[in-house]
Amino acid sequence: MSHPLEITNLVKRFGGLVATNDLSFHVEQGQSVGLIGPNGAGKTTVFAQIMGEHRQTSGTIKLYGKDIGNKTTPERIRLGVSRTYQVPRPFSDMTVLENIRVGQMSSSIWKMITTRPNHEREEEIAHSVGFAEADLHKTPGELSMGDLRKLEMARTIATGTSVMLLDEVFAGLTVAEIAQIATLIQKMRSDGMTFLIVSHDLKALEPLVDSLVAINYGSKIAEGSFAEVMGNASVRESYLGVV
Amino acid sequence: MTGIRWYHLALWIAFVAIMFVMPQLVSKGTLRIIIMANFLAIFAISWDVLSGRTGYISFGHPFLIGIGAYTSAILTKRFDVPLEVAMPIAVLMTMIGGIIVFLPALRIKGSYFALVTLAFMELIYQLVQVIRPDLTGGTRGMSGIKTITRGAVSNYYLSASLLIAIAFSMWLLMKTQLGIALSAIGMNEESVRGSGLSTTKLKLFAFLTSAFVAGIGGAFYVHYLGSIAPRALFDINFLFTIIVAALIGGASTIIGPIIGAFFLTFLLEFLRPYLPGAERYFIYGMVALLLYMYQPKGLIALMHTGWNKLTGAR
Ligand SMILES: Nc1ncnc2c1ncn2[C@@H]1O[C@H](COP(=O)(O)OP(=O)(O)OP(=O)(O)O)[C@@H](O)[C@H]1O
Ligand SMILES: [Mg+2]
Repeated sequence: MSHPLEITNLVKRFGGLVATNDLSFHVEQGQSVGLIGPNGAGKTTVFAQIMGEHRQTSGTIKLYGKDIGNKTTPERIRLGVSRTYQVPRPFSDMTVLENIRVGQMSSSIWKMITTRPNHEREEEIAHSVGFAEADLHKTPGELSMGDLRKLEMARTIATGTSVMLLDEVFAGLTVAEIAQIATLIQKMRSDGMTFLIVSHDLKALEPLVDSLVAINYGSKIAEGSFAEVMGNASVRESYLGVV
Repeated sequence: MTGIRWYHLALWIAFVAIMFVMPQLVSKGTLRIIIMANFLAIFAISWDVLSGRTGYISFGHPFLIGIGAYTSAILTKRFDVPLEVAMPIAVLMTMIGGIIVFLPALRIKGSYFALVTLAFMELIYQLVQVIRPDLTGGTRGMSGIKTITRGAVSNYYLSASLLIAIAFSMWLLMKTQLGIALSAIGMNEESVRGSGLSTTKLKLFAFLTSAFVAGIGGAFYVHYLGSIAPRALFDINFLFTIIVAALIGGASTIIGPIIGAFFLTFLLEFLRPYLPGAERYFIYGMVALLLYMYQPKGLIALMHTGWNKLTGAR
């Protein structure tokens, strides 16, 4: 059985800087893996390579056993992987529902023209991430940071993804918003979604993951259960700044 | 921003009705002015479908319109090709031109893209003068080009029907999910890709649609005027009139460019007795700029707020 996501010997160089250094790990079906590391460790760069926004220098990325190395971003999304952004990137002049609609659209222009938007599904997705009825017709400018993150997740869900990459979903959120998003992730886990989650907020991350991968300077320094990785000496040194 | 409502259809019907009775209401001279406004509106819609939506600002629309106009003019005048054959070929050629303008959009955006498209306009201006002047008429252009119909009234009805047909079909098209996807590109192209849509396909479609409209407009325009003058066609003032019409009317809408085109055409006519030369363009530039600074969403947004104030709605 092939894994939903499998990364092997991934290397990414930006000029002289090695942002990803011979990194290998995989995520099993329905599992949730946390990807942690200090600022600049290369977490976002891993996401960018999985999505094809940056091409890796070498190494392979497989989705359900299929090498996606030379696919475009939209093609990868159609194969079932999708991400949220550390800094939300909504469509600023569109309502919440319209933002979700873009994620939901068929990629065929003919279908865009001939099929009507599926309003029920849009609303269902919006409600599932916790939007209230009154929010559905708001534009991103009227939303809080927490709502913008929900919107990112909603648009990602709308693409029909089965592997979700979340980049710093808890950054800039209130305690209540963190709890809300955590509940949402838990619900999606129980529905069978596969996750790779980047977060600095380890306390919020702990209950959401089955295992952790820790990286520093682009290299893997530890892998295992939350407790194992947290107990690892080099993780404590590099990441937590304690020995 | 989406959804078709009853008052949309009511507005369309009102628009068609007004256009229909217009010849009874105004003089032949005014009718001639409105014909020009109709063509300007078609060009502005063509520009807006591409640039107003996707944010890829084209300075090359005279290039596209020129391909349509020259192709049809040359085919009918030099080769005696009948109009009904020449005009579709002209539209097809313009769409090929649209693909040429699209190519730089694969790699560059923003002002760089706009400048490259400006180069296309300059290029065709030079080309028509140098390459086969026996066909293009060189610097002097062409005259005695076959016209489709005669007289102000029938030409008015022809141009008005064309405008209505184009505007209505573009409006319907932009009301579909495609319209949303194209607008999304203008807001955040990366996020469109991140939503699983191919921006390359979408942009190509926008360029082809824009060129299709520009080609139709260009071909009908040249067979209305009966002549073609490269210096007036491949002219920065002509280009800015198109862009300003779309912007002051209200970009990313269909009715906006129509309103803008009528406003500009009549503004220019109004200024003509006082400022016969190119200074007129300076004045309208100022008017457009002020209006744009006051309400970037254009006249259509101003009218909307005005209407809401009148009716007491929010
Ligand atoms: N496009 C780029 N060009 C050059 N260097 C880059 C580029 N993107 C990222 N980097 C560098 O790669 C390294 C890893 O960056 P990345 O954003 O992946 O880190 P991160 O782990 O996500 O950090 P943070 O926790 O701050 O989000 C950094 O040193 C960064 O400066
Ligand atoms: Mg990051």
